[in-house]
Amino acid sequence: MGLRPSCTCVFLFGSGQQRSSGDRHRAMGAASPSGAALAGWTVAAVLLQVAGLSLFIYGFFPVKPTLPGFSGAESYRAPSCAPVGGREDPALPPDQLRSLYRELSEVPRVYDRLVLMVIDGLPAEFVLGRGGKPPSKEMMEAMPYTQSLLTGCRAVGYHAKAAPPTVTMPRLKSMVSGAIGGFLDVALNFNTQAFLDDNLLDQLHRVGYKLVMLGDETWIKLFPTLFHRQDGVSSFYVKDTVEVDFNVSRHLDSELAAKDWDALVLHYLGLDHVGHIGGRQSVLMTPKLKEMDDVIRRVHAAVTSLHENSERTLLVVISDHGMTEVGNHGGSSYEETDSLALFIGHSVENSYCSPYDQKETLQVDLTPTLALLFGIPIPKNNIGVLLPELFNSLSDDQKLRTLELNSWQILRLLQEQKPAFCSENCVNLKDDFRVDMLPESIDEKLCHLLSKAFASHRSSLLHQDSDFRSVEATGHSRTALNAYSDFLRYASEWLSHRATDKPLYVLVSAISLMIISCFSLAGIIFCVFEGKSQSQVEHNSECDSDKHWHLDEAFILMGIILYVASLGSSSFVEEEQYIWHFLTSTLYLIFLIKTVQSMLKDSNSTLVQRAEAEILRRNNSYLTSYKLTPGQPIGRKLYTILIILVAGRILRAWHQGGINWVHFSDISKILTQCDSSIVKSLQIISVLVVMMLYAVSLNLLRARRMLVIGLWLSHLSCGLLVMLHIWKSQVNTSVLMNHSTTSIAQIFYVIASISITCTVFLSPWIFPIHSKEAEPTSSSGFNPQKAIHLHGINHSVFLTGITYTMFWCLLQLLLQQPINAIPVLLILLQLISSVIHFSLNKSLHRQWVQVVAMQFLGMTGHFGLGNTNSLASIDVAGAFIGISSYSTVLSGILMFIITYGSPLLLYLGMVVYMSVKESDDICTPWQIRWSSILGKMIALPCLLPLVINSIALTSYTIVLLLMRNHLFVWSVFSPKYLYVCATTVCTYAGVSIIAMTAAYTCAVFSFRTRVFSFRTRKYRSM
Amino acid sequence: MPYDPRGSAMGAEATQISALTAAAAHALCLAGLAVAHSLAGRGALVSDPALALRLLVVCEAPLVIVVFSLLRRDPKHCSFLKAAARGLLGLPIGALLNAFGAVVLGAPVGIKFWTATIYWSLLMSLFTFVPAACVFGASKVDWQNALSYSIYFTSSDVVEYMISVPSHGAVIGAWLGAWPMPLDWERPWQEWPICVTYGAIAGHLIGMVLSLILIVAHRRRVRVKAD
Repeated sequence: MGLRPSCTCVFLFGSGQQRSSGDRHRAMGAASPSGAALAGWTVAAVLLQVAGLSLFIYGFFPVKPTLPGFSGAESYRAPSCAPVGGREDPALPPDQLRSLYRELSEVPRVYDRLVLMVIDGLPAEFVLGRGGKPPSKEMMEAMPYTQSLLTGCRAVGYHAKAAPPTVTMPRLKSMVSGAIGGFLDVALNFNTQAFLDDNLLDQLHRVGYKLVMLGDETWIKLFPTLFHRQDGVSSFYVKDTVEVDFNVSRHLDSELAAKDWDALVLHYLGLDHVGHIGGRQSVLMTPKLKEMDDVIRRVHAAVTSLHENSERTLLVVISDHGMTEVGNHGGSSYEETDSLALFIGHSVENSYCSPYDQKETLQVDLTPTLALLFGIPIPKNNIGVLLPELFNSLSDDQKLRTLELNSWQILRLLQEQKPAFCSENCVNLKDDFRVDMLPESIDEKLCHLLSKAFASHRSSLLHQDSDFRSVEATGHSRTALNAYSDFLRYASEWLSHRATDKPLYVLVSAISLMIISCFSLAGIIFCVFEGKSQSQVEHNSECDSDKHWHLDEAFILMGIILYVASLGSSSFVEEEQYIWHFLTSTLYLIFLIKTVQSMLKDSNSTLVQRAEAEILRRNNSYLTSYKLTPGQPIGRKLYTILIILVAGRILRAWHQGGINWVHFSDISKILTQCDSSIVKSLQIISVLVVMMLYAVSLNLLRARRMLVIGLWLSHLSCGLLVMLHIWKSQVNTSVLMNHSTTSIAQIFYVIASISITCTVFLSPWIFPIHSKEAEPTSSSGFNPQKAIHLHGINHSVFLTGITYTMFWCLLQLLLQQPINAIPVLLILLQLISSVIHFSLNKSLHRQWVQVVAMQFLGMTGHFGLGNTNSLASIDVAGAFIGISSYSTVLSGILMFIITYGSPLLLYLGMVVYMSVKESDDICTPWQIRWSSILGKMIALPCLLPLVINSIALTSYTIVLLLMRNHLFVWSVFSPKYLYVCATTVCTYAGVSIIAMTAAYTCAVFSFRTRVFSFRTRKYRSM
Repeated sequence: MPYDPRGSAMGAEATQISALTAAAAHALCLAGLAVAHSLAGRGALVSDPALALRLLVVCEAPLVIVVFSLLRRDPKHCSFLKAAARGLLGLPIGALLNAFGAVVLGAPVGIKFWTATIYWSLLMSLFTFVPAACVFGASKVDWQNALSYSIYFTSSDVVEYMISVPSHGAVIGAWLGAWPMPLDWERPWQEWPICVTYGAIAGHLIGMVLSLILIVAHRRRVRVKAD
């Protein structure tokens, strides 16, 4: 392996440049902007970007304004146009309030008691089938009781479409309040706080209902004071599928026997956990469904026996969201949003029914339905529409009254959003509702529908009063029903879109901030190039032939343009992994072509070169001891690229990824179906290879110091710990999370962080600033001192970088899904091969091309690890490895580490790359400027990722602004934007690690040089 | 790019080929494609890509090898048969290289795609590798020139234009043709290698036209210089 911190190769290749090194330095100092100014400008541009980004997020993902307060008696009166003062109804005791509501509503309560059973993550498809077809036979047999209720027409089930993000907490909130929360609720999912908006449970509590809660403790966090009795279970141990549900069911007998509650909430988490572990087809799925069916049977048996005591109970079985084929959720595919709403009670019983018809509804529709069934006011922010089928036991005019109440509530919400909108005006002005004019504006359309509904309601009442010809009356009430549901649907749709309304001027100013930042970053990098090329042009004419563009450079620019263009298409955003793979492998294929070309060229002029090299070698024979051999086999350059290309192709085949083509078979799916021992052995092989690579690269340093040996030992122990963890963690079993694995992971974290901290702080101190090998040559024309310094500093940076990289790989092997072990290894191989290739072919590619190529590799690897632009592909299970108590911050960090493992690996690898890359400009022999060495070292590796990320961020933000009314804005573009933001954070983290490592190392070396020269002077003067 | 004196001497010799000859050669190759297309019928590439590609390869291969063997470098020292043999040998080698490139860029490797991939890479080899193999043989300088894009900026000889420009066009066209493949339009032509083949053929044709334009411009420049 030709990988060695190469500081001295410069002298071999650049001997022709030595003559004028003195005045080169002077010119360079004048031409290139000072390092401090560059750093300052960069930081300023980044801060500007952060400001723009936060402003945009604030504007684009509004925390939706909700109406404060709770609905009261006023919800039974028609809303008036005059602004309603803050007149509060006097606080009544629960009993009086209940009777007041009953009086005002003119509709009797349909049910007295409620059992709300939430089965986390149950797709409606499992119970109701899909597209009008019953579910598969296996599913039918798994839930015999539920199916018998459905086919016996004693239950009615809906496909209740959940709004994205399909994560538990936002969905629970929207089910009880009827409002669709803001998109950023997903970020708060791990940080549940008390829910203060108007909601069903509070309303029930107000009228004196006693509430009991068993199950997911999210409910208790949302409603800390509401429950009469509660027993929360934590969804923390994702790998546990048995205990969570047992902890709910153990209270079932006593609670069902107890008569003191009016509403019972059961939240079963086990099915979601089964999905997370094994997906829809998991072997644990059928037993879990049987268990749920058994719970339904027990509850139903208990409530029907109560029913004889004239207590009418409604059993509602709902799920908060569905799951994808592999068991994840969060996105907006049909599989994830297809949640269940199953009602079992007397009002839905029917003599005839078709249970497996695809009855679609919205999840929020649950709120007004339950509110009206239980005779409480509809929560203020509700945008749902009641489900008429549930009110079949009521008479026609009672049904119309429920619709009217629902309309009034929605109307109030409309008036709040559109202060000019007024129902009375509509009703008065547009009495001629029969004229079928096509309304233009939204206001007019709403007005039109509303007046139509109210008028038909009135006429239906009139007809009922005047004569009792029932056919006509039914006809009228049907018209009224339809008119109401037209209005409600339209208004509900409009309101749910309204939740996505954004202030345009904020967004535009945010974008202009980002554009300014993007241009200033580009300007900075242009300055760096300018400074470089000036210093080159002045001092070596050989560079002139390099002036024009190379193929790879042109391709990178074109690739970035193509990538930016592809961001505008939702299909390309969904399948971004193809673009990255395509661009990266094309880039490396171009590298391959260039290498072949240079080989052809070399063989033409071998004779001349060989003679030159011979002379060179004779001159610098002392250097041969620690430099890269100049006449190395040319094939190695080819091998490195071939390794990268082949590894990239395997990565691409490992995860089919994407959103549309998830069902395609790939290596990861085949392996999952195989025996788990194969996956485990693959994991162990990857750990062994990583350990071996670290040992080899430490060996390359040829420094047998305590620190190096200590690092090797600690890496070895970390590797063993990871293997132990792999050995102990059981895939696909339902044993409670093993505590020994947690402590293993914790020991790993401690050892790894101690070793990395030690390396960072100590490595600049241990490498000599004074090398013995160079001393005898100090009389020759070269500058030994300079060589020595770069030698030491490169070794130190190399050690730090390789330690970062290898420990990071071990961490990834610990945290990633077992199936991702080989991809992590492949990305590491790609990284190492690129570094070797770039260190072999110093003049073939320009430095910026090399940095960009590494960044491309990082993004390709990001998708190669199975990430997509849907929130569903985030690996939640891994985020709890080694955490013994719940912590939002820690698990968030782990999740970030897992998701951005590959880009961060490549950023850490750039530290290694800095130590082996060509430093084409050298400082003067007699005046070492550490700041300029530092600038040379980090300018491009830091600036280029920032610029490219800034281009992607800015252009995607513009795309998002343009697409804000697109059909897929919430399902495709917004999740992608969260990823873009996270990538930005990842870039900042990576760049700051690079910059700080290099800055610290340079500072230490500069200090040591000063001390050393001071001592030498002292020694000489004595 | 250092300008090799040997190359220019040979170039001067080869400029004897007129623009008309070049156009005729291109027309012959084009005729091969047209015959294959008429034999296969409309839409055959979409319905049965392997068959259509096989027809294309079978019709195009002899034409390309004969035409470019006639245009071979250094005709005094190298017989027609030798050039044709070089072309025949170049066909599988070029196919291998093209197949490698395609697979690395993401072409599917499933068993059901094998035949299509083989025929496609043979066709690509005919577009790119075979003409160069017939004309250049083992001359490293020529190969290096053919790989680089400097011919568009510096003047070179007619045959070089005739070989490089269409083959660059075919590669770029195939590369661009792969872009619609991952989209969710659910069209039959999005399958591998249909749209890539369309792209390659389109790029090849554009390359032919462009090479003729370059040749004419080159001749005019030479004439002006001579005056």
